[in-house]
Amino acid sequence: MNIDWQTLKRAQIDWRMVLMSAVLIVIALVFNILSEGIFLSPENLYNIAQQTAVVGILATVMVLIIVARHIDLSVGSVMGFVGVLIAFLIYTANWSWQAACLMGLAAAIAVSVYQGALTAFIGVPSFVVTLGGLMSFRGAAYLVADGKTQPLADPFFLKLGGGYNGGIGTTASWILAALLCLGLLLSMLNKRRAKKAYGVPTNPALVDLLLALIPMAIVIAFVATMNAYHIPNKDAPQGIPIPVLIWGAVALVISFLVHRTRFGRYIFAIGGNPDAAALVGIPVRRVTMLLFILLAVLITIAAIVAISRLNAGTNSLGNNLELLVIAATVIGGTALAGGSGTVIGSVLGALIMQCIDSGMLLLDVSIGTRYIIIGQVLIAAVVFDVAYRKWTGDTL
Amino acid sequence: MNGIDTTTLGKPAVDTSRCLVELRNIRKAFGGVHAVDDVSLNLYPGEVVAVLGHNGAGKSTLMKMLAGAYPIDSGEVFLSGEKALIRSPSDAQNLGIESIYQTLALADNLDAVANLFLGRELLTRWRTLDDHRMDADARKVFQRLNKNFTNIRIPVRRLSGGQRQVVAISRAIYFNARILIMDEPTAALGPEETAMVGNLIHQLKAEGVGIFLISHDMHDVFALSDRLAVMKNGKRIGTYRTQDVTEDEVLGMIIAGKAPAGKEQTERPAR
Repeated sequence: MNIDWQTLKRAQIDWRMVLMSAVLIVIALVFNILSEGIFLSPENLYNIAQQTAVVGILATVMVLIIVARHIDLSVGSVMGFVGVLIAFLIYTANWSWQAACLMGLAAAIAVSVYQGALTAFIGVPSFVVTLGGLMSFRGAAYLVADGKTQPLADPFFLKLGGGYNGGIGTTASWILAALLCLGLLLSMLNKRRAKKAYGVPTNPALVDLLLALIPMAIVIAFVATMNAYHIPNKDAPQGIPIPVLIWGAVALVISFLVHRTRFGRYIFAIGGNPDAAALVGIPVRRVTMLLFILLAVLITIAAIVAISRLNAGTNSLGNNLELLVIAATVIGGTALAGGSGTVIGSVLGALIMQCIDSGMLLLDVSIGTRYIIIGQVLIAAVVFDVAYRKWTGDTL
Repeated sequence: MNGIDTTTLGKPAVDTSRCLVELRNIRKAFGGVHAVDDVSLNLYPGEVVAVLGHNGAGKSTLMKMLAGAYPIDSGEVFLSGEKALIRSPSDAQNLGIESIYQTLALADNLDAVANLFLGRELLTRWRTLDDHRMDADARKVFQRLNKNFTNIRIPVRRLSGGQRQVVAISRAIYFNARILIMDEPTAALGPEETAMVGNLIHQLKAEGVGIFLISHDMHDVFALSDRLAVMKNGKRIGTYRTQDVTEDEVLGMIIAGKAPAGKEQTERPAR
């Protein structure tokens, strides 16, 4: 084979992602051995996947917020507020779930416009704005239903949370996997064709093929695992859980925004050098506002998934969630100084955290110990980040 | 812009229809400080006008107003005889005004291609970024400026000072600037790269581009400029043909704000 080091270097492989994937695999293998094969059972993997969805959905957009040199400490509280509001409208006010969700979205956007305007137009640091929001909207979540739990019973709604009826079934899962693989292959071929048309140097065909085969293999392995999970008293296996499907769709959309649109490019430019962004004519304030509104949309989606998983809206919904979301983002390689981060990294970061937490739970590790370890994992991730940037010469 | 009579360069006729940029009675105050106080200045096609002064003399502020980075408090800008409204950097870019800032105004985390097109990305018909077209076009511009510049897809923070300067300058070239503002373009460069910038200025002059050059380097000023304007405390001290004044006289104007006696100014004093 004529694939040498230079070819690999030019193929622009993200070594950080490779390394993180390796870490995730090692963690999974270690827990699997310690739990005597339970950790990597389809049932456990199914649960981990759907438990990670809410944090994962929010982490994809938190990447963009942090890249743009902002932070949102209020995601958990706002999600709690929106979730309770939707549940309240359905249960107590007897709204249809569609109307309730739209109202939830409107509330989330109102919150984001308020916090975004303070940040973008008045220049209050988002840390302060959302620190206030962290408390205020937790209060709002309490006030909506006077602190009472709002149970949910709509069967369609509950599917969104995964659980007993929350899988899409084996056939649909395989069709989806096939479509995704086809999409990956086509986008690879399309990229090669476009590069050739413009005379831009391309990777050797074999390298491109390998790079496309890796995500395909992951998709197929994932679907096979989800299809292998069969709840004993049901007729058919589960297939992909709907919350994970939503998470995947969100990650794809955000990745598209980052790589293919001006909006995504401008967020990175603002994070890299806000003065330069303004000098070249980027509408910094408008982009910041749009970013906060995108955040509102994703908070609403996360809120719907969260109350569906819980079968209820409670005023404690999303407590401490901001910490998990930010930790997932940072473990996923997003620099808190802004300007760099990836959506796929946030997916890996969220999975790494959830795997460690679930694995320790399986091993009956006490809650105190779990907190201590997860906190130190976050620090280890940042230490690694600093070392990695020094090593590659990126001193951002 | 073609067919410029080079004999009139440096001694332009007072003909507003040919004048590329006419800044009239421009003022700007930050708080109570008059950063730019009633300054008028002209620029003709194919001409380099050096703008000189101490730090804080107001030269960068004046140029940033022309580039749309600061709003103008009062005064007017005429471009090729027509009144222009410049309210934002995009307005200035649309009018053919490009700027190369001392700080280079690059997003360090993005690659050279992204920086070249920053704010003016090429789009496909689906309104998505046309990366391949941008990549191909960028390669051509960078090649023209520096044949050895090939690592264009790594973050610009990892590039050398000269390569970063190439990226900044390529923005002006690619988008066909009519008017170019260069703020200390050679401050961070080695001798070879400084020569590259000098050559480029000559090339752009020949194409009829008008250039405002902000510089502290007297050697650059005398080598490159046709005229020079000196500012102090926000006011314009005087505008002279570069060949008419000596370095000492220029330094005298910069330091003491004293116009040399008996030298002909090439511009009306501010009204």
